[in-house]
Amino acid sequence: MKFFGIAFKLGLLLAGVGMLASGLTGFYAYQASRAMLVESAKAELLTTTQVLGRRITQSREEISRNLQVLAGHPAALAVLRGNSPAQEDQLATLFERILLANPAYFQIRLISASDNGLERVRVDRAGERLVRVQGDDLQEKAHFSYLSGTLKLAPGTTYLSRIVINHERGAHAGQDQPSVILGTPVVDDMGHALGAMVINVDLNGAFAMLTSDLPRDYQLFLANRSGDYLIHPDPTKTFGFDKGRRVLMQEEFPKTQALVDRQVERLLLEVHDGRYIDAPVVAAFIGRKSRVAGDEDRLLLGLTQPLGAVLVQANRLGSVVLQMVVGACLICLALAVLVARAVTRPINSLSRAVHGFAYGHEAAALPVERQDEIGVLARSVSHMQDEIRNQLATLERNREDLEHLARHDALTGLPNRRAFQERLELTLARAQRSGERFALLFIDLDQFKSINDRWGHEGGDAALKIVAQRLSAAIRKADAVARMGGDEFVVLLENPTRREDIVVIAEKLLDSVHSPILHAGQEMQVGFSIGISQYPEDGDTAATLLSRADHAMYAIKAAGRNGFRFSASKGTPTNPTPL
Amino acid sequence: MALCISLVPRRLRGLLLTVLWLVMAGLAQAQGTLRVLAWPGYADADLVRLFEQRTGATVEVTSIDTDDVMWQKLSHDQAADFDVFAVNTAELQRYIRDGLVVPVDTKAIPNTARQLARFRNLKGIPGLVRDNQVFAIPYTYSEMGLIYDRQQVKEPPTSLRALWEPRYKGKVLLYNGSAHAFSLAAMAMGDRTPFHLDERAWPAAVEQLIALRRNALGYYSQPEESVEMFVNGHAALMFANYGSQQVQLLRAVGANVGYAMPKEGALAWLDCWAITRGARNVALAQAWINFMLEPEPGEALLKRQGLANTTTESPNLSPQDRLKWLEPVEDSERRAHLWERILAGDRARKVLAP
Repeated sequence: MKFFGIAFKLGLLLAGVGMLASGLTGFYAYQASRAMLVESAKAELLTTTQVLGRRITQSREEISRNLQVLAGHPAALAVLRGNSPAQEDQLATLFERILLANPAYFQIRLISASDNGLERVRVDRAGERLVRVQGDDLQEKAHFSYLSGTLKLAPGTTYLSRIVINHERGAHAGQDQPSVILGTPVVDDMGHALGAMVINVDLNGAFAMLTSDLPRDYQLFLANRSGDYLIHPDPTKTFGFDKGRRVLMQEEFPKTQALVDRQVERLLLEVHDGRYIDAPVVAAFIGRKSRVAGDEDRLLLGLTQPLGAVLVQANRLGSVVLQMVVGACLICLALAVLVARAVTRPINSLSRAVHGFAYGHEAAALPVERQDEIGVLARSVSHMQDEIRNQLATLERNREDLEHLARHDALTGLPNRRAFQERLELTLARAQRSGERFALLFIDLDQFKSINDRWGHEGGDAALKIVAQRLSAAIRKADAVARMGGDEFVVLLENPTRREDIVVIAEKLLDSVHSPILHAGQEMQVGFSIGISQYPEDGDTAATLLSRADHAMYAIKAAGRNGFRFSASKGTPTNPTPL
Repeated sequence: MALCISLVPRRLRGLLLTVLWLVMAGLAQAQGTLRVLAWPGYADADLVRLFEQRTGATVEVTSIDTDDVMWQKLSHDQAADFDVFAVNTAELQRYIRDGLVVPVDTKAIPNTARQLARFRNLKGIPGLVRDNQVFAIPYTYSEMGLIYDRQQVKEPPTSLRALWEPRYKGKVLLYNGSAHAFSLAAMAMGDRTPFHLDERAWPAAVEQLIALRRNALGYYSQPEESVEMFVNGHAALMFANYGSQQVQLLRAVGANVGYAMPKEGALAWLDCWAITRGARNVALAQAWINFMLEPEPGEALLKRQGLANTTTESPNLSPQDRLKWLEPVEDSERRAHLWERILAGDRARKVLAP
């Protein structure tokens, strides 16, 4: 089979088509499912962000409820109205209870509207402890907007301060920490705000609780309405405005500019640039308007999830798809090989059969039993082979007949002169090599002419046939007899050991023709004259040996017929044997 | 290079080609490179181009936006990375102390003759002259006057004492900065050396600042913040730490405000050009300073930045208004420490406690 034969090309084509098909299918399947995964992750992220937004509101509402409970407590009004240490103690205890129950609260205070906003009851968190601040340590807060803002509000409503780093010296655990302050007015029967109940909330603590059940790879971003970061995975980026160098959400995520500008209220992003160039993320951002009065009227909330985490599933899927594609490719390859072989094997067997037939070998089996085009072709080839084989056999027979005709006498069936010449040359060559001997007996029918005259040519032919048969029967198998033409025959005796052997054979030959020949109901009497030459005594060429035997035959004919005589080349001629 | 340019967005291409042309032109003329370190808006591209065309030099501008970054860049490598920079008079002192600046030959800067009288008198500006050597040339400044709401304050305030007036209780906006706060209190008390408080003056200054706090609506840090607080809090009076910039911002949001200079003098910062000890081409640095005193840069400051220049009188000032150029304070840590307590709402006894 040629390397770049039809099988290879066909196999290559089939395998190529198969691999391309499975590869493309795999690729598009992967792409489509990757996009779906990212989309669903984004949707999930957005939902989570919105849930978180609602949690923030709920958390704020809970603080508001606590504020209302405290502001409505009779002790609050009593403390603001006058000097009542017992009520102060009562309130302080209440504050402590609430601080214990709410770890994210830094501080609870009752602040009076008078006395430049002097704090009246104040409990701070200080590490693990709670500290009640009293006496000279109480501070005036009238210059803070959380007080002036709260005092302007209607009863039962909540004020929300800006989320800032609390630099109010003496704030214990809350000092220099990101904080948000919520307050509600404490009003008398006339509706005058005599003071404010205020809770300082630990921003990070509150958010740590809100986000504690988020997946660990989620990252939280919180910014104020201008985009200044308040919460960021990298704490150095938060409250940049407090350090004199603003760090803005829209600088890290340029598309959030639309959120800052209030063109949109939610945003889904895939971020591949900036610090996310090596670890892209999907991000969801929402803007949430504050439902309460205050300075922080809108917050921007964002969650990111590493794209890598989203794509872990896609990658797993990708590797499964890849395995399937590789498997499919291998199957394609195997199928291609099988198909190629199935197609080319019968062609090859046909080709081998034709090839073998052409070179005369035994014809190989043909797939003639097949019902397809190859079966038809095989049957045609088989039929053609039979035809050729028959014609060749006929030709061979004719050739053999011709060959026989060319080398045998048509009448007697004996080898003719030409065939005998070849036999003689062969025997001579062998004898010369091996040093063997042989003898030629030249035989001529006596008075054949008179037989012809008396019995006609048919009688002559019949006599010649009978003589031929009798000669053939009389000689040994190794010896040869031939008709040289007319009534002349010649016998070749292979390796006679002695002259006497030749004599025995010659006499036997003479005896064989002695019995009468029946022809047309009448007996014919024929006789021989035999001239004998021997190798090597009488010559070493065929012509010489024949010539000597011929001469010896004529000599015996002249001497009286029906006898034999050895060539006279050596010693005295043998006397003819009288009948 | 053509390929690279084709990758650049079209709108930037023209700019890039211009820059390349300028770079090549500069190299061809071999007039040297001037390395400028300045605040945003001090060396705008069009002004730089004008200077380059005139001198054939190439200018590399580096912008900084805080005093600390400027100090980092210049104290690194003995100021060898820059030739000329803009610095305020108070900050200039540590550069002189560490020998990072060299004296400026005013005769080499003929445009100083165009400056207003108060800026020609270099000895009258604390910190510019040492041992009869001038270390910097005034360039731009901003005064800290009083902004008032024309609706609530019918007569423009003439004194810093207006901030303490009881009628403005809860309507005064103040700046949250310890150094300026104490200087302000000192000036209001008639102290002539507000940057160097006398030991006996401290309790009085604290009392003054607590009294001021009790009058306050609040304290701001950023100009935008001050505008928001002024408008939303219906403030009557504001100490304008950012001066005319705040006036511009307030007027931009429609506030009907006036701007007054107190008779005690207005605190003011003054930025000056100085030459570094690492300057490679002092003549070129002098040419830059000279160029900065021409009308175009001066107008650019006024129109683009809302900052005053030294060659024309500021629209916010009249010639008789006094400016109190900022100087390093005697003990900034002490001021900050006391200020924290005052700001937190502590009363005098607590503030002055050790």
